[in-house]
Amino acid sequence: MIEVLVDWLLVASIFAPLALLDQCFSKSLRPQALALQWLAPAPALAAGLLGLGAGPVNLDFPALRLSLRLDQPGALLLTVAALLWMVVGAGVFRSEQPSSRVGVAWLLTMIGSLGVFVAADLISFYLVYALVSIPAYGLIAWEGLPNSKRAAGVYMAFAIAGEALLLLAFALLAAGEPQGSLRIVDVMAALPASPWRDLALALLIAGFGMKMGLAPLNGWMPLTYRAAPIPAAAVLSGAGVKAGVIGLIRFLPLGAALENWGLALAAIGFFSAFYGVAIGLTQKNPKTVLAYSSISQMGVIAAALGMALMAGDSGASSSVAFYAANHMLVKAALFLTIGAFAANRAAPLWRLPLAGALALSLAGLPFSGGALAKLASKTQFASGWAAALASASSVATALLMLHFLSRLRRATARAENATPAGLVRVWPALAVGALVIPWALYPAVGDLSDAFGLAKLWDGVWPLLIAAALAYVLYDLQDRLPRIHEGDSVVAYEKAFDKSLALGGAFEGIDARLRQWPAAGLSLVLIALVLAAATALGR
Amino acid sequence: MTPAVLAGLVGAAVVGLGLYGLIVDPQPLRKLLAFNLIGSGVFLVFGIVARRGAAAGFEFDPVPQAMVITGIVVAFAASALAVALILRLSETSGGVSLDPAVWTKPDDKGEKGDGQ
Amino acid sequence: MMGATTPGGFLLVLAILLPVGGVLLSFVLGGRFAERVALAVTPLGLALALAIAAGVAHSGQPLVYAVGGHPPPLGIALRADGISAVMLVAAALIFAASGFYARAKFSTPPGVAESRAPLTFWIMLQAIWAALTIVFVSGDLFNLYVALELLTFAAVPLVCIDGRPETLAAALRYLLFALFGSICYLLGAALFFGAYGTLDIALLAQRVHPLPAVWAAAALMTAGLLAKTALFPLHLWLPPAHANAPAAASAVLSGLVVKGSFFLLLRLWFYVLPGLPAPAVGAVLGTLGSAAILFGSVLALRQARLKLLIAYSTIAQIGYLFLIFPLASGAHSWSADGWSGGVMQILAHAFAKAAMFLAAGLLAESLGHDQIAKLTGAARKMPLTFLTLGLGGLSLMGLPPSGGFAAKWLMLRASVASGQWLWALVILAGGLLAAGYVYRILAPALGDGAVALKAPPQRGREAVALSLALVAVALGFAPNSFFDFIEIGRPIVMGTP
Repeated sequence: MIEVLVDWLLVASIFAPLALLDQCFSKSLRPQALALQWLAPAPALAAGLLGLGAGPVNLDFPALRLSLRLDQPGALLLTVAALLWMVVGAGVFRSEQPSSRVGVAWLLTMIGSLGVFVAADLISFYLVYALVSIPAYGLIAWEGLPNSKRAAGVYMAFAIAGEALLLLAFALLAAGEPQGSLRIVDVMAALPASPWRDLALALLIAGFGMKMGLAPLNGWMPLTYRAAPIPAAAVLSGAGVKAGVIGLIRFLPLGAALENWGLALAAIGFFSAFYGVAIGLTQKNPKTVLAYSSISQMGVIAAALGMALMAGDSGASSSVAFYAANHMLVKAALFLTIGAFAANRAAPLWRLPLAGALALSLAGLPFSGGALAKLASKTQFASGWAAALASASSVATALLMLHFLSRLRRATARAENATPAGLVRVWPALAVGALVIPWALYPAVGDLSDAFGLAKLWDGVWPLLIAAALAYVLYDLQDRLPRIHEGDSVVAYEKAFDKSLALGGAFEGIDARLRQWPAAGLSLVLIALVLAAATALGR
Repeated sequence: MTPAVLAGLVGAAVVGLGLYGLIVDPQPLRKLLAFNLIGSGVFLVFGIVARRGAAAGFEFDPVPQAMVITGIVVAFAASALAVALILRLSETSGGVSLDPAVWTKPDDKGEKGDGQ
Repeated sequence: MMGATTPGGFLLVLAILLPVGGVLLSFVLGGRFAERVALAVTPLGLALALAIAAGVAHSGQPLVYAVGGHPPPLGIALRADGISAVMLVAAALIFAASGFYARAKFSTPPGVAESRAPLTFWIMLQAIWAALTIVFVSGDLFNLYVALELLTFAAVPLVCIDGRPETLAAALRYLLFALFGSICYLLGAALFFGAYGTLDIALLAQRVHPLPAVWAAAALMTAGLLAKTALFPLHLWLPPAHANAPAAASAVLSGLVVKGSFFLLLRLWFYVLPGLPAPAVGAVLGTLGSAAILFGSVLALRQARLKLLIAYSTIAQIGYLFLIFPLASGAHSWSADGWSGGVMQILAHAFAKAAMFLAAGLLAESLGHDQIAKLTGAARKMPLTFLTLGLGGLSLMGLPPSGGFAAKWLMLRASVASGQWLWALVILAGGLLAAGYVYRILAPALGDGAVALKAPPQRGREAVALSLALVAVALGFAPNSFFDFIEIGRPIVMGTP
């Protein structure tokens, strides 16, 4: 009985927002459809909750060449993502009416974001992945702020480049599957033995890493989160980036113990984890600091997956998904925190401590959802050097979050921090929710009783103490930190891009010469001769 | 040297001369004449080929004859169309040149392209 | 017997006679009747094309008709197989769209019995349709030469229909270069006839051997057809011709006319010469195609005018078509994917490019110019037009869901499976560059800004352009039976001789 319900809800989770999209084509129905879209993720939320307890659900539609699958990592992320879209969407679409451009972009991104957790064949995954990446342009360029054009352009460049890498990777995956099936489970089963395994893995890590913001492909994230309005930044950093996470979870052959690839991925992950913190500490704008925190946290996730790949641990996907789900909630709530702080200067006393608890939960503050997330990833970071690096990254995250809190107090009511009034009002509830909801979800990945105990408590506290000490030192050194442009490596990419534009002039010169009649006529004769030779050689 | 081989060589030579004119000469009218020259060469080749037909046992294969006649008509129509274009071009703009640089505006503004 | 008429073969004759009859009737009646005849022919042509497709699907064999009851080698056979049928349907749809779109611009003005430009437009449109129909169904190489010439002669006046000197020069350049190409084709046909005594495609396929005459003939015909398809570096005539023609004409020129000569290349290499293994030819054509993709896309990025950008995009997308030669030849496991990808690319590009030219035409009429730099904020005033440009661009970029994506996916699979990595990289690079020039059009238009509209675009014409773009997107959902359909009639090589 439950299975049938889950099946229907799974299908509805995609088709409910699609039905709304259909309505957008008619001018009269459009405002109503866009206003209601905050309700559209409800079936997805229900499907995710039910799917947490049930085993993996597979739905195949051979006629449409579509497969859907709800397994535990997908269910975890789907639940939290749907919740996020509903809450932030309600805030945006009930209190103010953004233009239909933004509304349609929001709806398309939502469809992609929800679909990415349930798509189970290569083509539909590529489709929803494109939907979660490309229409987000409308969300970034929402306000039309001066730096939003550059941010949106950089974002699109990275998104399209990632799509190209993934397309080749998917073609390689499909080629390695002997029966010609395009279902992800079949393709992944064939991957370890495929002759193109290494190239495919490299492309997959690069493509999904671009989405997750792993260094050195992270430059777009700070620019984007700075330029996008708060609600857009909340959903993009929350649900949008996790498309990369589910991509890695789905497309890494975790069961096969690939030592070298696991090590490489873990190295990239840890590098990003510390790189994000290091650059983030030099930034002044709180949104940029949060962006670098995302980069760092995605690095931790990548490292966890790398360790799992090394060990051949396929059960890691659930714990990593839990970590990502917790990050989704906390990061979105943190962005809304910026909005709340910027919106009213007069603050109740408990506002800063609540924000502090929320921020430090990312570093594993005891009794917060983040502590549970840390607990869930313990198995991946069990061995010596990995455990040490993981602890160090906790300290680093805590440090960065303290820096964020110090910048938060100076958040002003600029256009880039504009938040719908509804969200500002309910912010306290959202913050508490972000701290508490992971507790409700943890039973799906582990035993709640593990979370209590003095040893665990101390595990959570000592990184914070060290971080507090470091923060005190850093605060004095504020002005002597180097000024790094937000988007760090993007500046280098932009310079290289500008240089390549000069090539275009060379192409134009060649074209001008080739379009002269004698050159073209001669080319025709030459082509005929070359083809004659080629045909003759064909023997 | 049989007549067939001689005719074939002449055909090839005519095609070559026409090709030279078509590629090198900048004047459209001369290009048109060169095209007709190549056409004549091709029809000459067709004529040679007529004697080798493996068709329904005629002594002179009628199929290439049909093809040559059709080809002459097509070349005639082509020449007529080209001459009409050349005349009209010289009427409206005085000069007849195929050089793309002559006809491109500084950055190819679309002012005259409105209403397209 | 090979050239015997099959049941339903008469449909092929009807399909040719319909537009030819339309041309003659339009010429005789003249004036306003030309437009009415052309628009009346449109649904009939579509019905015939669908009937032919149904006939081929039903029998699983090509429809054949021996003209005059004389089978080859004396007579000419008309042969409609899988790809003929889909091209006929696609052509009918695009002609219908262009016809209805052009009514606003090419109607005879009131108070005048007959006007030069409208009369020419409607007659030439039907003439192009007739020529394309012959190209798609004829089975004789000389018959195809005549059809090709008819196609050129009908297309050239459309380029210079408004009489401006630059369009006349573009038309003259097009005509002379196309004649250069077709005379090379004719010489090749003469050599084929000299070697084998027949020009029927099926008979030649049985008799072909590696001879110097065959090599020369194949090379000459291919080079001639490359000139007419405007493959890089023989693309000199295309940008000014397509960019300066009226929008409805550009749609047909870019969408269908260049595909006509490409169709002949497919007939030559996959139907006449499949028994002649020539992997080097695939490499040469693939290389030229890759150069076209890269050059065309880079040049499109640098254009100031929207219609020139779209014309250079055509040059780039034609390059994709030529990847079919290395990817679909032979009887390998990946050849079917390569063939499907190539045919899908023909169809997807035809619809997407036609839609984009029609939308660009609406834009130019409403704004008075087609300068890309001045498009800021235009999407707000003309949402449907930019939706059309966006959907067409989606197909050109190769993003799902669209026919362009299906084509790219199939070609990528074929190139990965065959180990020909170069084409895979070129396909991806082309996609990135296409994303660049589509972004160039759409990003400023979607931004904030105000443009002054001379007149809002008419809903009906916007709907026509949008429907073509939607077809391009719908092609992405083509079922597997579609790919089986386009294999009907294709000779599969059984190993190398």
